[in-house]
Amino acid sequence: MRNRRFMLVALAALVTAAALVAAAGQEQNAPANTAEPAQDWTPPRTPDGQPDLQGTWTNYTSTPFEVLDESDTPAFYSGDLDGTGKGTGPSSFSNDVSDRELTKMTSLVVDPSNGRVPIMPWAEERRNYKLEHVQDDWVNHTPWERCITRGVPGGLFPAGYGSGYQIMQSPGYVAIIYEMIHEARIIPLDGRPHIGSSIRLWNGDSRGHWEGNTLVVDITGYNDKGSVATNVATQRVRSIPQSEALHVVERFTRIDENTIDYEVVVDDPEVFTSPWTVAMPLHLEPDYRLFEYACHEGNHAVPNTLSAGRARDQAAQAAGPQ
Amino acid sequence: MRTPLFIAAAGLVVLAAGSPLTAHHSFAAEFDGTNPVTITGTVTKMEWTNPHAWLHVDVTGSDGNVVSWMVEGGAPNALLRRGWNRDSVAPGTAVIVRGFRARDGSNRASGGDLTLPDGTKLFIASSGAGAPPGGRDAEAKK
Repeated sequence: MRNRRFMLVALAALVTAAALVAAAGQEQNAPANTAEPAQDWTPPRTPDGQPDLQGTWTNYTSTPFEVLDESDTPAFYSGDLDGTGKGTGPSSFSNDVSDRELTKMTSLVVDPSNGRVPIMPWAEERRNYKLEHVQDDWVNHTPWERCITRGVPGGLFPAGYGSGYQIMQSPGYVAIIYEMIHEARIIPLDGRPHIGSSIRLWNGDSRGHWEGNTLVVDITGYNDKGSVATNVATQRVRSIPQSEALHVVERFTRIDENTIDYEVVVDDPEVFTSPWTVAMPLHLEPDYRLFEYACHEGNHAVPNTLSAGRARDQAAQAAGPQ
Repeated sequence: MRTPLFIAAAGLVVLAAGSPLTAHHSFAAEFDGTNPVTITGTVTKMEWTNPHAWLHVDVTGSDGNVVSWMVEGGAPNALLRRGWNRDSVAPGTAVIVRGFRARDGSNRASGGDLTLPDGTKLFIASSGAGAPPGGRDAEAKK
């Protein structure tokens, strides 16, 4: 009865996790949704016995990605080079969260405990260069602006719109359809090894397995062209590069009928001084409908931004040497 | 000197309001937050496309010439959640759209609030392109 033993281990893990969460209750960044898992709630199962994560989920939130620091320059991270766009801040996902139950988290980053991603200086410099030169070359735009991908795990970081995720399961697989850029992740559960290191992917290579009721997804095999986060909402981490050493581990745990606890550990020893963790809830929204996201259809941002740069150059030339 | 005062006041409001976060791209790299425009004309087409909807408006000048404008809006699903539907701005609808002009000087703008003939206001902006709230006033539907 391997399954029974598995369940016992899972139960023990849950009890331990609950104890840890309770112990961490005083910490400012303890994920609110894990504070009181429904003790008597048993996750439904798919016909082949997997914990059932299926449904349409959303991640609208008002929680800032990181805890803001005085040294932060939110306007700059949003690409607002001269201040005319008035920048950005952690406060306004308001259009899309007003009808939602909000967490009391101070940041989505829960580890390190200060809520700050430990970015190496060179990576911040690279980001700064890209943001400062976004009008000069398309390569300085994030993969999202170029309609390539929002990345893994970046594609699950809240963006404020287009935030639907459809999870489907079949024997041996979990599939996650992302509304944004209509990405689809097909995650095999059969224990197959990762692809060889000679193959490099924007979103890496996902391999899943169950630990009790938790879907654990291990991702390696990234290229060094992508970014771990692309959306303005990710503030300081937006446009931070990823390296081929990036290793990501995601955990999906359905803690009640309407909630998946999503947790992801990001480890890239070439970019970050230590691993860091994001934790946040995904909310079941059966009535939410994913809107087709044919990204290039309405995306005029890259050519328009470049033409803005050329207009800037011409104006500078007309003004003559300063 | 009402205009400079108004702009100053608007600037304060902008600073106070914090601002939106969710853009597909950087607002300020493409549009000029110091260059507001009011487009009064007739809708010719609404493109319900991702990552941004685009509203096309023909504006007839005092000389009778027609100039076509493109106004960037939020993503369809964001507009839907604010109360928009496909009939909100049917072709032929007279609209007044406030927004901010493209930096390259083309007839393109990032939209803000939009006023329909009966006075109803809708908010078309990208759900936070880093854009100034630009006329997002209390009357506009959320």
